[in-house]
Amino acid sequence: MSDVTTTHATEAAADTGTAYGLELGGPLDDLARVGPGTPFGEVLRRYWHPISKAEKATTTPRRVKVLGEELILFRTRRGEPALLHPRCIHRGASLYYGGVEEDGIRCCYHGWVFDPQGHCLEQPCEPDLGQHRDKVRQPWYPVRERYGLVWAYLGPAGKKPVLPRYDVFETIPEGQQLIVNDAGVGGGGPEVLDFNWLQHWENVMDPFHVPILHARFSGEQFTAEMAVIPEVTFEYTPVGVRSTQIRKLDDQRALRRRTEVMFPNLRVVPSPRLTPGPTNLIGWVVPEDDTTFRIFTLAVHEDPDFLVKLRSTFGGKPWAELSEEEHRRMPGDYEAQKSQGPISLHSEDHLTTTDQGVAMLRRMMARQIRAVTAGDDPVGVIRDPADEIVGITGGNFFLTREEALAEGLVDA
Amino acid sequence: MPSPAALLAKYTPAAVTAGRPLAVLGVDGVVVLEGEARVPARLEHLSARGKWVRDLQVPDGTREAVAHLARRYGIVWASEWGPNAHLALAGVLGLPAAPWPYLPVQFNKLAAIREYAAGRPWVWIDDPVVDLDPLPGEPGGVIVRVDPARGLAGLDLSVIDEAVFGPAA
Ligand code: FES
Ligand SMILES: [Fe+2]
Repeated sequence: MSDVTTTHATEAAADTGTAYGLELGGPLDDLARVGPGTPFGEVLRRYWHPISKAEKATTTPRRVKVLGEELILFRTRRGEPALLHPRCIHRGASLYYGGVEEDGIRCCYHGWVFDPQGHCLEQPCEPDLGQHRDKVRQPWYPVRERYGLVWAYLGPAGKKPVLPRYDVFETIPEGQQLIVNDAGVGGGGPEVLDFNWLQHWENVMDPFHVPILHARFSGEQFTAEMAVIPEVTFEYTPVGVRSTQIRKLDDQRALRRRTEVMFPNLRVVPSPRLTPGPTNLIGWVVPEDDTTFRIFTLAVHEDPDFLVKLRSTFGGKPWAELSEEEHRRMPGDYEAQKSQGPISLHSEDHLTTTDQGVAMLRRMMARQIRAVTAGDDPVGVIRDPADEIVGITGGNFFLTREEALAEGLVDA
Repeated sequence: MPSPAALLAKYTPAAVTAGRPLAVLGVDGVVVLEGEARVPARLEHLSARGKWVRDLQVPDGTREAVAHLARRYGIVWASEWGPNAHLALAGVLGLPAAPWPYLPVQFNKLAAIREYAAGRPWVWIDDPVVDLDPLPGEPGGVIVRVDPARGLAGLDLSVIDEAVFGPAA
């Protein structure tokens, strides 16, 4: 009998580590949950969030769910977007059935009319259309339009920050255009993603999964360069965490790829097809609730289908057309992240090298919870309109051999 | 809070030398990983064998503080750096080649520490961000929270020794 067999035989006799009586830990609820009053839910409620494409805010009321809250989005006939709590303050009928008018929405039940700030404009069955109508207020949230998106602020009134602008979208080069997408670009799955948002956001700081999941498993999904395991530097920035990945290319050049997460939920993932230069796209990971989220993406490009074409294919097929067997054989981001569970059991994680960026992000989240609990602003909240432009540092930067040598990135 | 048994059932940390009290260290409680150090410090460029790189600041006196603890305590890393805490920090902190045991935990580490200590006296030195849940009044050992801008070098270790070993004779 060989030694190996003996060792295995001894182990088999002991049967350690079996799943019998398995006990599982739980999620880091403080970081993962987003509803009103939850620790990170309150952090999220200190920023503006994209909640819809501007073109989808129309005179037809639409149900939207944001941070665990059901709301009604519409646009008055005068053109002003509005986001109201659905339950009419009169006796509770949903404004989903309301009729949109010149300056607001009329409840289907007794006809009270509310404007985008929740002011009651009319109570048709009351004397003088409601002598006391100015005493009531339909709960509402501030909304703004920018970059083809509707942005909402769901936090305390006194803390509403400046709605940021982003340098990469401020000047659109000749022949290019701003592209707006709400269909889950970067999620690798359906338009509305059906698991906890943090699993996706953390993934942005996990560059080590790229050569495994997207090359070894799904078969070179992006480009050959991306299949190389890079050297990764992680660092905190004033507004998030950044990873810089250096890949030495065969032709003696080097590729420096910078990926960022920015608070509270931005994903700055430059094109995985390695479009050179500063990134031309940014995404926002917006939770609908604890187990559902959307990704809103903005990009600048000459091709209006740029973002649609960016979506990964699996053996040449789009994700939606894969059979169960193909999903199993060629898993991508969606399969990996959804399979972590509706909300991952973070206390079960065995953190190590690959998780440095994820751990830094979680730590920074915990710090923002403390800041908000103490009544301070979390990072990245803009108070002075003079600071409204946010600079983005992510991108794919190709270095010539000389540049790479000068920076010590390749060997002489 | 999830049961500590949940984690330690699927991970078996190495044992520490019997007999001595434990000093459980979070990486953020030892060196300065974020922002500017508020004490004189050396900038170090860390790498876990070229897989990942991080810059950090090692306040003057950190090496000596770690050596002081290692003489009196069995040291255990409890951090999100997992096995890499020892590997990556060995050079800059002058650690022994044989790695110290580690608990791969980032937040709410107390339950895992207590389970690992199994009745031995312990001190847990870490930065305060790791406590998402409030700490219990009777933790069963000594908990020391450090200023993450100073790290271990900002502590008076004799106070810790006294808390663990009792007043010096
Ligand atoms: S190897 Fe990372 S989740 Fe399994
Ligand atoms: Fe991915």
